[in-house]
Amino acid sequence: MKTTTATHTAAAPGPGATTGSVVSFQNVTKSYGAVRAVDGLSLDLHPGETVALLGPNGAGKSSTLDLLLGLRPADSGSVRLFGTTPREAIAAGRVGAMLQTGGLMEEVTVREIVALTCALHPRPYPVEEVLSRAGISDIAGRLVNKLSGGQEQRVRFALATAGDNELIVLDEPTTGMDVTSRQAFWATMREQAARGRTVLFATHYLEEADAIADRVLVLSKGRLLADGTAAEIKAKAGARRIAFDLADGQVDERALRALPHLTSYERHGETVKLQSRDADATVHAVYALGLYPRNLEVAGLGLEQAFIALTEAEEANAS
Amino acid sequence: MTTGTLKLVKLEVTRALRNKKYLFFTVLYPAALFLMLGGTLNGTTKVMGTDLAMPAFYMVAMASFGALTAVLMGNSERIAKEREAGWVRQLRLTSLPGRGYVLAKTASAGVLSLPAILVVFAVAALVKGVRFEVWQWLALTGSIWAGSLVFAALGVALGYLASGDTVRPITMLFYFGLSILGGLWMPTAAFPQWLRDICEWLPTHAYAGLGQAIELGGAPHMKDVAILAVYFVLFTGAAAWLYRKDSLKA
Repeated sequence: MKTTTATHTAAAPGPGATTGSVVSFQNVTKSYGAVRAVDGLSLDLHPGETVALLGPNGAGKSSTLDLLLGLRPADSGSVRLFGTTPREAIAAGRVGAMLQTGGLMEEVTVREIVALTCALHPRPYPVEEVLSRAGISDIAGRLVNKLSGGQEQRVRFALATAGDNELIVLDEPTTGMDVTSRQAFWATMREQAARGRTVLFATHYLEEADAIADRVLVLSKGRLLADGTAAEIKAKAGARRIAFDLADGQVDERALRALPHLTSYERHGETVKLQSRDADATVHAVYALGLYPRNLEVAGLGLEQAFIALTEAEEANAS
Repeated sequence: MTTGTLKLVKLEVTRALRNKKYLFFTVLYPAALFLMLGGTLNGTTKVMGTDLAMPAFYMVAMASFGALTAVLMGNSERIAKEREAGWVRQLRLTSLPGRGYVLAKTASAGVLSLPAILVVFAVAALVKGVRFEVWQWLALTGSIWAGSLVFAALGVALGYLASGDTVRPITMLFYFGLSILGGLWMPTAAFPQWLRDICEWLPTHAYAGLGQAIELGGAPHMKDVAILAVYFVLFTGAAAWLYRKDSLKA
């Protein structure tokens, strides 16, 4: 079964090779009970890339990051960072990560927790520099358990960038931030990427992926659905839903299925439901067939539905 | 211990000393209990079932109790809560070795149990006029302090066993059960025989026994040392097993 639209072929990563893959997943599977969270995932990230891991909730983004960081073991397949195990790469200070589920030590000040993380890093930056880059110098004396959600998120960011990492992993990093902090955050991230760091972030906002990433991985049901530039993904996910009713006798299944740009076709009695990559052209073609569609509706698909459309298209191609 | 682990120990200690609840329950509370319980009879009456005078008996009991409080309560509740909050996960994203967290918790509990022991000793000596040889004071401090490691291990095990919501009641059950049945609050000689037969095998009973033997001028009984050693292996084993199970989960 074909599950990906494009897969970068994996160059065999030599031990400790920095020019090879930063991250390499090969046929990685992880289930929780009956739920298959990651399903035969293979991918390679290259040095200096800024990569968005895009997918609806429950697509397996967080599970993928957990496996990538060695927080959970894979059921099968191999996960390598810089040609070594995730734990070795983290212990060597090559990876900084900011997780949604990453808690903070309570009853200590912001400066204390940042200083601890700097002390734990093999190549730390000065504490004051880390504080100011994360925009938390002004709250450095506050107790961690007295912070707002957005402030906590910035502290987590400070912990992820306490030292000289080669890979930065962020799980929905802007959750809980206001627009200004969001912009400031991504400005900092771009600066990190410009210094040659590899940045991988999970998000369910297509716009965020579009604005920041130079490569987008689309995940759905634990599988890699698409791998390309933001523009390519946007074109795919930009599908629209078309629905209309036809009078009896007008339904010509073969002609309808042959309409241009269709990604899905469904019919219940008189009602026809289509998904199209170019709704204007498709609707035009419906009229060109000499049909008179009633109750015509054209609507955009949310990201989630667009993903479902993509998955169904993939499965239809495969069968 | 790596420098990173030491940093974490230092921060854990700083945080605990800043916490008023810690100061009250582990430092002041045992000393106050000592004054209350140890002061009810005159200083020469022998405690039931022992050759020790009241103040001497309660000094060891309360120093042991204070150390128990510091290591058990501190470890179990914090570990359970920090596991749930994701701090343990966050630490796994640093170069701190996997065992560093548990090691730091145990070491800081060890540092924090020392004031509990010393304050009870100071109050006993200054207020109740308890007198011992220098070697006895040193041996008492050393054995009660070392013995508290057994309960630090129990605290780690409970912290990995319980969730954030259930950790307090579970810890309390062990804490009060072990304190009372082990004879830290009152001599077990007052208990019925069948209960005494059980209590004799509890780690807290052996723990108090260490100090009592030293107060009587001898070395701790081999039986007490052996009981504590067995519990230490048991608790450490449970803690290690639960820790490994937890780290596969998240």
